[in-house]
Amino acid sequence: MEQKLRSEARALLEQGKVDYIFGYEPGSLKFTTTPLLTRDKNDVDRLVVNPFIVNNLAKFLTELKGRVGIVVKGCDSRSLVSLIQDNKVARGNVVILGVPCEGLIDLSKVEKLVGRERDELDDILREGDKVFVTVDGKKREFPIADVAFDKCLACELPTPKEYDILLGAPTSPIGQKDAGYTAIDNLKGKIPQERWEFWKKEFSRCIRCYACRNVCPACFCQRCFVEETEPKWVEPTANWQDNLLFQVVRNIHVAGRCSDCGECERACPVKIPLRALTREMYDIVGELFDFKTGMDKNEPSLMTHYEKEEAEGLIR
Amino acid sequence: MEQKSEWDPQIVGFLCKWCSYAGADLAGTSRKKYPPNVRVIKVPCSGRVDPLFVLKGLRMGFDGVLVSGCHPGDCHYQTGNYRARRKMAITKKFLEYMGVEPERIQASWVSASEGDKFAATVADVTDNLKKTGPNRLFEDRRENNGTEASK
Amino acid sequence: MANMKINKKDLVQLLGQWSQEFELFVPSRDGDNPRFLPWDGKDTGFLDWYRNTVIPPKSTMLPPVEEMFRFQKEKGKVQLEAPSADSKRRLLFGIRPCDANAMTLLDKNFEDGYEDPYYFNRRKNTLLVGLACTRPYDSCFCTSMGGSPSDASKVDIMLTDIGEQFLVEAVTDAGKDLIAKTGGLEEATEADAARAEESRKAAERKVTRKVDTSDITERLRASFEDKEFWEKTAAKCVSCGICTFLCPTCYCFFINDETNKQCGVRCKGWDSCAFSCYTRMPMENPRSEKWKRVRQKMAHKYEYYPMTYGVMACTGCGRCIRNCPVNWDITQVIKSVPAKARVESK
Repeated sequence: MEQKLRSEARALLEQGKVDYIFGYEPGSLKFTTTPLLTRDKNDVDRLVVNPFIVNNLAKFLTELKGRVGIVVKGCDSRSLVSLIQDNKVARGNVVILGVPCEGLIDLSKVEKLVGRERDELDDILREGDKVFVTVDGKKREFPIADVAFDKCLACELPTPKEYDILLGAPTSPIGQKDAGYTAIDNLKGKIPQERWEFWKKEFSRCIRCYACRNVCPACFCQRCFVEETEPKWVEPTANWQDNLLFQVVRNIHVAGRCSDCGECERACPVKIPLRALTREMYDIVGELFDFKTGMDKNEPSLMTHYEKEEAEGLIR
Repeated sequence: MEQKSEWDPQIVGFLCKWCSYAGADLAGTSRKKYPPNVRVIKVPCSGRVDPLFVLKGLRMGFDGVLVSGCHPGDCHYQTGNYRARRKMAITKKFLEYMGVEPERIQASWVSASEGDKFAATVADVTDNLKKTGPNRLFEDRRENNGTEASK
Repeated sequence: MANMKINKKDLVQLLGQWSQEFELFVPSRDGDNPRFLPWDGKDTGFLDWYRNTVIPPKSTMLPPVEEMFRFQKEKGKVQLEAPSADSKRRLLFGIRPCDANAMTLLDKNFEDGYEDPYYFNRRKNTLLVGLACTRPYDSCFCTSMGGSPSDASKVDIMLTDIGEQFLVEAVTDAGKDLIAKTGGLEEATEADAARAEESRKAAERKVTRKVDTSDITERLRASFEDKEFWEKTAAKCVSCGICTFLCPTCYCFFINDETNKQCGVRCKGWDSCAFSCYTRMPMENPRSEKWKRVRQKMAHKYEYYPMTYGVMACTGCGRCIRNCPVNWDITQVIKSVPAKARVESK
């Protein structure tokens, strides 16, 4: 897959079909990758595809002007299609290099399972549905469902539907949907006051670094409401009330644009379980309006469209 | 601390100027009796109401938020109320999931001629909120500063 | 004063003694969010997992949110009310050498011109008890920033792992005073000192990330106008606040009034030069573009700080590398800054 990606990317740059290639290259730390955003055809040999390509590169599309060849997984492709629906990206300006995704490995799950931190692991190897982790010279085997990100377990579209070049044979979902819902199910079992208390506690440690917002391809506003000072919607100080308000409103603002790619949760340095919010919103939107983010570029986006009769039960 | 006065819910109402605002006016001019618990903010269309306003209302300490616009099909701008409906529906559902009592977030369709419906809606919303109790969602026992709403 | 030692299993008693006199902070897991929190008085379980905290110990001196004063307007007069000062002495147990070093860098800023009372009230009231690092991360590069995993020069007391015991070294006078009145310590032997030396060397060998910073100040100065380089460098940055908030040497803060009619509270909180609104002014924003902000971050740490205070504002703790959502690696950037100006400066 990597070879195909590199040659396609090189051809795109050489033929002048794109100005940039957005992909992944090996990161500076073990078992990581980092976004490679380049105009230089000599860089394409560094491109990789592996179970650690976590970033959602659609985020960078709204920043740069020009035609882009972009590597996307299923979830990223939905973010990209959503941007096309919102007219933030022109379909003709992107060449989509689709990666049929087999699920990404959540290093924090691996760390918990083997009781060691990422940099102390010798090797992580993916073979089919199994993942082999070597630590202290001993090789341990785990089913992919134990070490994949929750979002990957709940994934509905591992292979991009919208693409120009598909880099491999289509894959099917891991099919452990329930396992991807553990956090949400736990919350739903609680009474409202307990749920609110839960979020209050979680958001009390938010330091307002805005990584959740800044890694999000759906958060493309030039200026976010939290940065407004007249009127001041939220205080800039990191108190739990304003932290929570920020995140709730952010989730509502990206409803129908969020593809549940889980980047907000992964980026959070204080590990707030943000996917328990994004996934619920994803499901609410699906349930109320039968809408799934980024499935069809010709479909109107959630908030620009309506049906004559819908959701009336919620209005007096 | 406990004075004799009974707690009374405070509601912020975002009313569309083409319909619900006029409906509220009509309720007043026709001397309908309804609880004085809503503080009205006139908006050009219910579609103007960003869910942020709802959250901000709750954050400021209002016990409930009411968004009211034209009946489906009657929007002065053709589709504003349909958009409001989508926004309010997800806001209500999502906040319920977060642990907010659903009674606190209300949306209604009230036309300019429905003074009666406006009065009844306010009465009903107020009544429900009395049962729900005061909004302590954003209260912090340690916090005693400016961000608390005026009571 | 001769060096002392203490059995690891007796550490609880030691902390117990100290907590009588001090408000004691230790590395705490806090769910999955390692940071320094007041000791719960129970155990030293942190020894099992502690490598370094995610939230740096600067949060105990420069909290993410801090009340400066309250104000109230009554009958046309404004009343100010200062927050009650913490008078109890504090002890930070287990601070890593890189973070202790960072404290001395923060000092330079907060004592420049005048002493910042909010910071120094805590700083001067706090004793630092260091714990030499034995398991540095692959992202650590303290040895390239003039430090080492066992550097004892910036703490009051230093503990070094020598197997079943810790070697206890009193560094400053305050440290010596405390050790003198602390019970339960044994005098260390020469064999202990040798084992400590071995432990130090072993840890140092584990710091594999190296970067040459000898001429970075000059390189940064020469490359200030090199827009192409900075744009390329900044391309994948998402302008979040992680690297600055988690940096033990970054100190930027905003001041904000939370008001309600006649009263309110003035707070300060962590701010970040990575944010696009950080330098927003009524007429313009001199760093509205991402590459300028990334340049600023680099230049502040490795050019302006050395020019002003003679030291770089980086201790190589590696938090910015470990926690960056896009793996923007500051050591790679240090390496890649061009040696010679490629652009004529204006």
